[in-house]
Amino acid sequence: MKSVRWQLIAAFAITFVFVAPILWMVLAAFKTINDIYAIPPVWVPDFTYLENFKLLLSENWQFLLNSTIVTLSATALCLAFALPCAFGLVYFQFGAKNFLADWILSTRMMPPIAAAVPLYMVFNGAGMLDTMPALVIAYAGFNLPFAVWVAMSFFRNIPKEIIEAARIEGCGWFQTFRLVALPLAKSGIATVATFVFIFAWNELLLALFLTTREAKTFPVVISSFSTVTKTYWELISAATIIQILPPVIFTILMQRHIVSGLTMGAVKN
Amino acid sequence: MGEIVLKDVEKSFGEISVLRDINLTINDGEFVVFVGPSGCGKSTLLRMITGLETVSGGQVVIDGEDITHTKPSSRGLAMVFQSYALFPHISVRDNIGFGLKIAGLPKAEIDAKVAQASGILGLDALLDRKPRELSGGQQQRVAIGRAIVREPAAFLFDEPLSNLDAALRVQMRIELIRLHERLATTMIYVTHDQVEAMTMADRIVVLEGGDIQQFDTPIALYDRPVNKFVAGFIGSPKMNFMEASPGPDGTVQIKGGPALKVPGVDLARITRRMTVGIRPEHICYAHDTGDLTGKILVEEQLGSDAFLYVEVEGIGMVTVRAVGERDFHSHQTVHLSLPPETCHVFDESDLRINEN
Repeated sequence: MKSVRWQLIAAFAITFVFVAPILWMVLAAFKTINDIYAIPPVWVPDFTYLENFKLLLSENWQFLLNSTIVTLSATALCLAFALPCAFGLVYFQFGAKNFLADWILSTRMMPPIAAAVPLYMVFNGAGMLDTMPALVIAYAGFNLPFAVWVAMSFFRNIPKEIIEAARIEGCGWFQTFRLVALPLAKSGIATVATFVFIFAWNELLLALFLTTREAKTFPVVISSFSTVTKTYWELISAATIIQILPPVIFTILMQRHIVSGLTMGAVKN
Repeated sequence: MGEIVLKDVEKSFGEISVLRDINLTINDGEFVVFVGPSGCGKSTLLRMITGLETVSGGQVVIDGEDITHTKPSSRGLAMVFQSYALFPHISVRDNIGFGLKIAGLPKAEIDAKVAQASGILGLDALLDRKPRELSGGQQQRVAIGRAIVREPAAFLFDEPLSNLDAALRVQMRIELIRLHERLATTMIYVTHDQVEAMTMADRIVVLEGGDIQQFDTPIALYDRPVNKFVAGFIGSPKMNFMEASPGPDGTVQIKGGPALKVPGVDLARITRRMTVGIRPEHICYAHDTGDLTGKILVEEQLGSDAFLYVEVEGIGMVTVRAVGERDFHSHQTVHLSLPPETCHVFDESDLRINEN
């Protein structure tokens, strides 16, 4: 009994360490800048004080919209390429298949910063700097290797006979992919989509490089609240709450799909 | 229609040749079983007919049309897998109608055909369930239903009954035989179970080591096996084999036993070392006299039959099938005789050299 109690205390302590910044941020979002710096601290703010949110959204709603558009498009574009690619790598027979799969993965080994300058040059040359399509392409591209590999593992888990049965029943490859492989890999697709979504939504580095004004995403806006002369903690806090909400909601929605087991009962082992 | 012809079909995986010189003509409406031990290439051969496996050499022809390089979806065949391979995400109804939907049939027609097939297979009450909600036998029926609605040129079965329990297997075997009578469509059935092969087939292909050993009716395989492998593979319990050599006056001298005048032995093909085979039910047994004397090691009493495992000195274990016998027990001495007209003689390359 005693050890269980200590374990609980330890668990709460560790959890507190991790949750503290978020807690501080939530509290700060409802304070004025003076309350944030006040000594003794204002522990519990007035939660009806919404000026920070109002100010933030009235000036920056279009960047939040940018973030939404870029994230959803990048996720969709990434899946549109990754899923057929993974399907082909798993089911088609061709030479250098494994080499190709490894090569796709190897591109993941490069840090994104290494590509930042070349990407800047490319999009500059294409006249696409500070446009959302540039960000969509960059984000989808960066996530492709990961998405392909995860999707491959999910396609591999589909019993081979089910794919073969579809082909004998008259499906071409595309129909087999759409009518059989995709529904059976649903949980895998949800997993991939969640990861790509979170990456694209939170990405800052490339967005700083590739956008200036029009296509700025929300993380770029948040970073701009810390200036040389002043840090707007109240705005940063409010913006961060808005920033973390979509991934949390998205993950909760996808959670039940991520729990797999859909192929149970398909094949008797 | 569904005449399937294989011409000089070969298969190799890289350097390893798994099937060689396969020549078969399967007539329209025939029930043909591919049988053989594990790894003999029977499933590979079936998969080459479906197109799931590529053909390394030769031709596959269905109804006069060379389909060697046609994709599986265009061959008009239906297959039932050992694992059933039902689509787990759609209902039984959609599983059965899947191929028809792909073929673009109108919904009313699909519904009618699904209803008809489910009626034949007794699946009416289960149509709205998902495959995982069914028992193994029911899943098996759905897989068969999915095959029959498409009215294919031929049905291909890859060990479809091996996941069922013994009682259900017997029942499904009878149902498949009746289904074949009713549909009169070509069926090719792969199994390693010789009882399934014997009971279901019009003709059996015995495969071993990538070669066709014999292609004939079940009774022909049983009565006139072309070689020692077929003789030993077909029949349960197995045929008894005894070493032999040429004896006087065209007889065959069993080592440690009598010289037998087996009728129809081709004297020109007698070799120095030979094997005599005799089925367990053909051996005569008695308490008092016989050609061989041995001791019953084990008596397996089934009521209808008693299988006596007899140790004969100089020959080894001999299996005797005694129909309805109650009077012979373990540890007793028994005298056996081998009626020559029921014996098979195999030369040193294991080919049968007596004719009957």
